Amino acid sequence: MFRAGPAREPSSLRTVRKAVAMMNCEEFELRGLDLDRADADPQESAAAAKHAEICRRCSAMLESWREVKCNLRLLRESTRLDSAPARVEMRLKQELRTRREARVPRSAVAVAAWAFAAAALLIGVVSWGTWQRTRHGQESSRQKVAVPGVSTQIPAGPDSDVLASERENENALPVEAKKSSGNAKLQVAKDEDPGKFTLLPGSLPTETEETAIVRVRMQRGALGTLGFAVNEERAGEWIQVDLLVSNDGLPQAVRLVR
Amino acid sequence: MKILDEKPDALLNRAVRGDEQAFLALYQKHQSALYRYALRMTGSQWAAEEVVQEVFLVLIREPQKYQAERGELGAFLYGVARNRVMKHLEKTPRELSLDVMNADGSAWYEPEDPLTPMMIAEKRERIEQVREAVLGLPAEFREAVVLCELEEMSYQEAASACGCPIGTIRSRLHRGRALLLAKLELLRDVPRRASAGAK
Repeated sequence: MFRAGPAREPSSLRTVRKAVAMMNCEEFELRGLDLDRADADPQESAAAAKHAEICRRCSAMLESWREVKCNLRLLRESTRLDSAPARVEMRLKQELRTRREARVPRSAVAVAAWAFAAAALLIGVVSWGTWQRTRHGQESSRQKVAVPGVSTQIPAGPDSDVLASERENENALPVEAKKSSGNAKLQVAKDEDPGKFTLLPGSLPTETEETAIVRVRMQRGALGTLGFAVNEERAGEWIQVDLLVSNDGLPQAVRLVR
Repeated sequence: MKILDEKPDALLNRAVRGDEQAFLALYQKHQSALYRYALRMTGSQWAAEEVVQEVFLVLIREPQKYQAERGELGAFLYGVARNRVMKHLEKTPRELSLDVMNADGSAWYEPEDPLTPMMIAEKRERIEQVREAVLGLPAEFREAVVLCELEEMSYQEAASACGCPIGTIRSRLHRGRALLLAKLELLRDVPRRASAGAK
């Protein structure tokens, strides 16, 4: 290891002299080759240059490095204009376009999905609202029928005069008062029968919220007046039926009560 | 306002949204340095091309990886390129030297100097020697030499690109220079004038 000798330079900078005095060969190896760099510390560069003046080994190393550096510069200049081939740019542009095109359908799908979800939600809400209204309507209809004075629900027809007289004496008559064919004892159905209604001939299905169920006791032969075929042998038999009466007072459907 | 005057972040945002012009502006600004870095590190044009392509594919596909508050876009791209280069060097250490040995001089740019053919031949030979010597360095020392000596980055810029402290870069450069000196002395077949700490 060589040590730098006493500083002979007429430099007036105390700091530089101090740095020169402190720099040895090991430090020169570490930092001395930086003295040509633009971002080198000026004090260190001065110290390294001074050390190289007095140390032959470090001076030789610096000379060698400058030669290498000159060759490195040649290499740098020879590759100065190197750049990626045009095909790389083409591939990247293609990738960019592919992604851009893929992004548009993806957003369209997202919009469609949201629209579908919104529509489904809307349908659900409307259906629920309709169902609620229907339920309320049925309940209110039942309540109306349950009131004794609601006579508008009673079917009008060929027997309406008889039924009207029946209504006048409604409170007085027993429930199972016997009547002739076509005469019926009305009884309000208080609960729903699970049996199915059979549409009367010539009737069309109507909204359930506009109908009422009326229980009637009558002779089987009276079904003939409603358009059903009746076994004449059993025509005199008393039966109970539920009549589905529409808003206009006409029976729409009938079912047997067991 | 020209597109090149825009900030890299703004350009990147536009590029991510599919603006081809913005992407090309970024590409043109950085591709050359990245390609040279990859070429000098790998010694293979094919590998350098792949590295550049992968770096910009990362920018297209995963732009969120770049965070402006952590550094400049150039440093980020260098970092990605560095990772790809290191992976390449790990995978194909032997391919590297063979590629270098087979490379012909036509790939390198020759400045038009008023030199005699003999001088041109000597110059080309010297360049080849230096290139081979650089490629023969261990990867981390080679990287320091490439960034600080060939790309002329400052220590700060090189440290940022490598993601390591400045002291590490200086240390690697010191070792790289020493090895380079030793190799070139050996290549020229002349007595060594200085060991410069080479082992």
